[in-house]
Amino acid sequence: MALLEMRGIKKHFGGVEALKGVDFVLEAGEIQALVGENGAGKSTLMKVLSGVFQPDGGQMLLAGNPLRPRSVAEAQQAGIVMVYQELNLVSDLSVAENLFLGRLPPLMGYTRLNQEAQALLGQMGLEFPPEASVRQLSTGEQQLVAVARAFVQRAKVMVFDEPTATLSANEVEQLFRLIRRLRSEGVGVAYISHRLEEIFLLADRVTVLRDGERVSMAPLSELTPERVVNLMVGREVRAYQRQPHGSEGELGRFQVEAAGLAPLGLTLNKGEIVGLAGVIGSGRSEVLRAMFGLVGSASWRGTRLSGPLTALRQGIFYIPADRKTQGLVLELSARENVTLSVLSRLQWLGVMKAAQEQQLVKGWFRRLSVRPSDPERPARTFSGGNQQKLVLAKGLATTPQVLLMEEPSRGVDVVTRYELYALLDELARGGLSLLVSSSDTEELSGLCDRVLVFRGGRVVVQLEAPLDREEVVAHVTGARRVA
Amino acid sequence: MSPGRGGWRELLSRYGIVLALGALVLVLALLSPSFLTPSNWLNVLRQIAVNALLAFGMTVVILGAGIDLSVGSILAFTGAVAAGLSVAGWPPALAILVALVLGALIGLFNGVFVAYARIAPFIVTLAGLTIFRGATLVYTNGMPITGLPDTFNVIGNAVWLGIPLPVWITLAFLALTHFLLRYTALGRAIYAVGGNEEAARLSGISVTRIKLFQYAYSGLACALGALVLNGRLNSAQPTAGVGFELDAIAAVVVGGTSLFGGRGTVMGTFLGALIIGVLNNGMNLLNVSAFYQQIVKGGVILGALLIDRLFATRRD
Ligand SMILES: Nc1ncnc2c1ncn2[C@@H]1O[C@H](COP(=O)(O)OP(=O)(O)OP(=O)(O)O)[C@@H](O)[C@H]1O
Ligand SMILES: [Mg+2]
Repeated sequence: MALLEMRGIKKHFGGVEALKGVDFVLEAGEIQALVGENGAGKSTLMKVLSGVFQPDGGQMLLAGNPLRPRSVAEAQQAGIVMVYQELNLVSDLSVAENLFLGRLPPLMGYTRLNQEAQALLGQMGLEFPPEASVRQLSTGEQQLVAVARAFVQRAKVMVFDEPTATLSANEVEQLFRLIRRLRSEGVGVAYISHRLEEIFLLADRVTVLRDGERVSMAPLSELTPERVVNLMVGREVRAYQRQPHGSEGELGRFQVEAAGLAPLGLTLNKGEIVGLAGVIGSGRSEVLRAMFGLVGSASWRGTRLSGPLTALRQGIFYIPADRKTQGLVLELSARENVTLSVLSRLQWLGVMKAAQEQQLVKGWFRRLSVRPSDPERPARTFSGGNQQKLVLAKGLATTPQVLLMEEPSRGVDVVTRYELYALLDELARGGLSLLVSSSDTEELSGLCDRVLVFRGGRVVVQLEAPLDREEVVAHVTGARRVA
Repeated sequence: MSPGRGGWRELLSRYGIVLALGALVLVLALLSPSFLTPSNWLNVLRQIAVNALLAFGMTVVILGAGIDLSVGSILAFTGAVAAGLSVAGWPPALAILVALVLGALIGLFNGVFVAYARIAPFIVTLAGLTIFRGATLVYTNGMPITGLPDTFNVIGNAVWLGIPLPVWITLAFLALTHFLLRYTALGRAIYAVGGNEEAARLSGISVTRIKLFQYAYSGLACALGALVLNGRLNSAQPTAGVGFELDAIAAVVVGGTSLFGGRGTVMGTFLGALIIGVLNNGMNLLNVSAFYQQIVKGGVILGALLIDRLFATRRD
């Protein structure tokens, strides 16, 4: 008997059928990857499992017993724990308190609590102090605490929805170790990711969803990355290969100063794609934030960038890493989000030019193939990858000269990522200069004309195309020092 | 908008307030024969005018994730100034203009503390509530100002095309606010700031300017309300508007606007004000004691929010 059986699960949102009768079977002691294009229904399926959504049809069995959680709390009671990207920790409590949250005996001394937490963390090879408050930890470390808590909660099923997006390479390794440990203790793990690499490192079996249906479930040994991509989209897809093109001369120079950052001067050429590599905290995202006038002080072509407004007037646009908290106004429609930065251009005496606005949005929807294609839906109802496209559309609608992007393909499916790269390349050919900060070294080496590697707040080396991924990795991790 | 979207839950969550109003009207019509007469309806509309005006301004503030507790005091102060200047011999039109500008300026004053000093709106406007009440008492010496010129009587009591002027003013301000929120870039920016301030800022929206505007608009609404109230009472009372902020907030919330900002409409607020007005009116017709009226009103506010909770389509 399987640990978890989901049969014929259906879920629709208004007119959108997100799940059209999906089966998902998970064995104890198995890691099963769940893959599919943006909007395929992965998150929805797992939210049904973890009590966030009520299904419209289908059945679930956990260890043979009917399961129908009406809330997240009920699902947890039954042993189903989902780790979201938005974390469910209490940030003012300590690591130890979070670990044992909801399971604290009425009178347990802090000394004992911390000792037990220390023991648990030690077992798992995690090295942060149990008395630290969660707020002080990096996002990655917080994620690890959330996973560690699953051990305390004695989870039977653990769900991860794109957990590695905000982790450093080192943290990813720790996370994988923990996940494998969960497996060896008989937990069933469902793992959603757009990074095929991770799936081939981690999974035992792979379920592929397409348009709300399961199209395949197969052991990893029978699959190749190409095969998985084909199953996801239902056709042949070729990996993106960029032909770097010569750049057309100097566009301008950034001068950047910010706390924790060595002063940086960067001359940008017209139509080039410059990558910023480095671990989280290396300073690469501070640089972009300074260039948009958000922190420190920066200037572009001698003009001081005192805030987003001045930066925008200089033709600079910034796409933040976290679309939900920084990129989108989730309650507004997709249309209203896309035009948020060009309101002044779409008005006449303060009144919005509705027809022109609609046309502009329709154009970007087509160009980026946003799905679903109805721009009147609230941004919150779009899947993760499509939300990312909305943010990108908002930036491109300003027709910038310089586009600053953080983690451009975070949460974007493989195929869309290739489309995105092709689009960025096309924009660069059209004269747009891009600064791309990313933790994905494959992305950087495949996309950029040159890459600046950051460590400890300064650029330690600049690598020029043709770029070798291994070399980028070596510099990022500090395995290779520059002579 | 795609067809087939909806279902009864979404329908109820969207039009629940209309249905609630309908049900209320039905019940009152059955209980009291005089309820459905046209003259009683005009009466209701006239009675809600001041609260509706304040609530429209409040909607703009709350949509931007703020709150304005000082509306009652701004109303009293601007009303007193308009009355005082006219009694002192200023041309009424000029006195009215001064009151309107003054209302907007006081709102701006609140806005400066919210937008630049980044003090919580609740605190700023709570301070405003006592400051401008005090200013009113100083200005009036604690005495009503009477003997207003005829212009005020016209504002409060004139009838045009069978409809009282305060109702016209309310409808005009409703239309203006609706237009502002729905069709202008400024309105869009207000929703954006209320929905996600950080995202709005990163999109190049000047969040401080938007906030200044919201509070100034609310101040203007207060001055309008003050003029109507002066007209209806044919005087300016130093204690006018005490507690009005609560009714205004209630109308906004019953009308379906989220107190967290970013979601809601001024049309909803109008219906919310109407529900509260109809309820008051109905209970008066039925001779319900004023003590019980308060309990019922609070219950209706809770009920409206409960319905909103129960039928709102689930958000993740
Ligand atoms: N709360 C919601 N309201 C309305 N529609 C929704 C809601 N959540 C998801 N959807 C829709 O359901 C479909 C499946 O979305 P889901 O988030 O499950 O996709 P996903 O496979 O997780 O995609 P991604 O890889 O982009 O995260 C999409 O079409 C999405 O627009
Ligand atoms: Mg998802």
